[in-house]
Amino acid sequence: MDKKLLGVIDATTYQKGLEDLIQHRSLAAVPFGGRYRLIDFILSNMVNSGINSVAIFPKNQYRSLMDHLGSGKDWDLNRKRDGLFFFPAPAEEKEINSFSLFAANKDFFDRSNQQYVLISNCFTVCNMNFQPILDWHIKSGCDITEVRRDGRTLHMFLIKKSLLVDLFETREQTGYTCMRDVVTDINSPYRQCHYEFKGYAVMIDSIATYFNESMKLLDPLIWKELFLKNQPVYTKVKDEPPTRYFTGATVKNSVIANGCLIEGTVENSIISRAVKIGKGSVVKNSIIMQKCQIGENCVLDSVVLDKDVKVNSGTMMYGTKELPYVVRKGTVQGALMNS
Amino acid sequence: MAKKKCVAMLLAGGQGSRLHSLTANLAKPAVPFGGKYRIIDFTLSNCTNSGIDTVGVLTQYQPLVLNSYIGIGSAWDLDRKNGGVTVLPPYSESKEMKWYTGTACAIYQNLNYLTQYDPEYVLILSGDHIYKMNYELMLDFHIERNADATISVIEVPWDEASRFGILNTDRNMNVVEFDEKPANPKNNLASMGIYIFKWSILKEYLEKDAILQDSSHDFGKDILPTLLSDQKKLVAYPFSGYWKDVGTVRSLWEANMDLLDDKCGLDLFDYTWRIYSVNPNQPPQFISNEALVMDSLINEGCVIEGEVEKSVLFQGVKVEKGALIRESVIMPDAVIGKNVYIEKAIVPSEMVIPDGTIIRAMDDSEDDIVLVTEDMLQSL
Repeated sequence: MDKKLLGVIDATTYQKGLEDLIQHRSLAAVPFGGRYRLIDFILSNMVNSGINSVAIFPKNQYRSLMDHLGSGKDWDLNRKRDGLFFFPAPAEEKEINSFSLFAANKDFFDRSNQQYVLISNCFTVCNMNFQPILDWHIKSGCDITEVRRDGRTLHMFLIKKSLLVDLFETREQTGYTCMRDVVTDINSPYRQCHYEFKGYAVMIDSIATYFNESMKLLDPLIWKELFLKNQPVYTKVKDEPPTRYFTGATVKNSVIANGCLIEGTVENSIISRAVKIGKGSVVKNSIIMQKCQIGENCVLDSVVLDKDVKVNSGTMMYGTKELPYVVRKGTVQGALMNS
Repeated sequence: MAKKKCVAMLLAGGQGSRLHSLTANLAKPAVPFGGKYRIIDFTLSNCTNSGIDTVGVLTQYQPLVLNSYIGIGSAWDLDRKNGGVTVLPPYSESKEMKWYTGTACAIYQNLNYLTQYDPEYVLILSGDHIYKMNYELMLDFHIERNADATISVIEVPWDEASRFGILNTDRNMNVVEFDEKPANPKNNLASMGIYIFKWSILKEYLEKDAILQDSSHDFGKDILPTLLSDQKKLVAYPFSGYWKDVGTVRSLWEANMDLLDDKCGLDLFDYTWRIYSVNPNQPPQFISNEALVMDSLINEGCVIEGEVEKSVLFQGVKVEKGALIRESVIMPDAVIGKNVYIEKAIVPSEMVIPDGTIIRAMDDSEDDIVLVTEDMLQSL
């Protein structure tokens, strides 16, 4: 047994507030920041903290998540020893919760050498090194350490592996279904500590937070906290060419991924990989996901376009800061379908 | 090893001395190009896209950057159990150290690499050119014509023909004469340095050439002329499309600028023929409120706060407020300070241009393209 960490990502969460974006994909696979998926942040944090064994427990619609992760190569997790493990819910299980999923895959915990486990959700955007937190956890002598930001839980827990196994094995007697149940139980016999994380960290749980936190990437201070040179955020490699800006393109205060062809105007927006924005079109305060095609002379303000949306020339679409107009994946938006 | 139909040998040992400081510490095929690539990416991607999965890469000059860049070839999908990419540096034998003294010499010294795949055909490539080409079509042509050797040729402007190795052919594209840099060219078909040989013929002639004292062990000067004089069947394969040797500072700059010309014929956005490269994994580019970006190619990890016009910016470049970059190529991780003015220049990787610097060609200089060097910055 060594004092190393095992990474566990609980990807069973379904956020009702994000329905439009998670109809066809797991919450963990929601695109964020132009070229990432939500899970890239926690997964990269784990890898950058020296964790080399990560188990992912998904529940709903995990096809896109599996496609994204592949063998784990892009996170350097395609290992002979340890690496990336994927444990989908067994089909026969009626009521799936985190602990029942962990219990169904007890072998994984038994076979691992690591003495400690970091259990995290899949929808927190942050750049966090878990090594200092583990040191703190060991020094403080706590049974469970909960990572918090501004006093609010980030749904990340440090725990000895042996205690975690006990917790999920006795779940029927205790009624605990997840780590959150354990730490919120006032009669819990375990010594609990809170670790306050000082950096930028936000949980994406609704369209409003999704939209507002995406827009915060345009703040250079937050950008610098999230994208550190020595703790990079890894993601699936796409081999897109650099982005091409044409004569007449006007881009201000925006985050632009590779492979885009930009002829129009872009302001205060997040543009993902391989997006086309035609001549005379104006995209403002919007999030445009991968491979969207926006024709000529369109106006998009406060809009979220999911992947592969085609916007015909001359289309106007408006949302508000409080309620962005969300367009579902793969749809075609015509000039006559103005919202 | 399983037998392979066609194995590619990629000559990547060139120094590229006319690129001056750009190739001081790395081989020419490793020179950055097009905002995210290195020159060799084009040939390696052509191999993968043409279905050639066994590539020997011959390195010699300053191989560190190139070797670590190629790795096990996974960026080009060439990490294969059988075949894949193999880096072939010169090696020593019990009696002597054997440097690659010529292109043919390099292949000759790696005959054992080829023998293990027992191929029917060998494709000889150079890692110095920017182009997209389907080698499979050339191989089909070679087989159809039952040639002993096929040389890929491209039409060059007549007034430039005397700079190239020109092939004179008959009507059926059979090669009748080699004319190396002719003063009065009879033809404008230039050799692209891409050859396909029948393996048996290649082996025979390389072995014959190796023992000749007065040979320069070069394909263009020795092997191909000998084949011709022995009445072997040599055919020229006509290629049309974008092809450029980026051997000088000016041609490297021009080829980068070509990417901003939609009519140049080299389309990086053609997803049916993707150019693969090692991914630098940087965050998306950030274009600030003060920035102005026009007619440019910009890679991830860039932070642009100044003005960029008709330029190519590689990953991780920082352009600070008030800076103006025109018709220039800025290589990875360079920092362009505040109020800098750069025109028609190449800024090498990781170079920091101090605030207020003005870079453009002197009125009396021979060439109007500036390759920025540390010495130049210190003398300003």
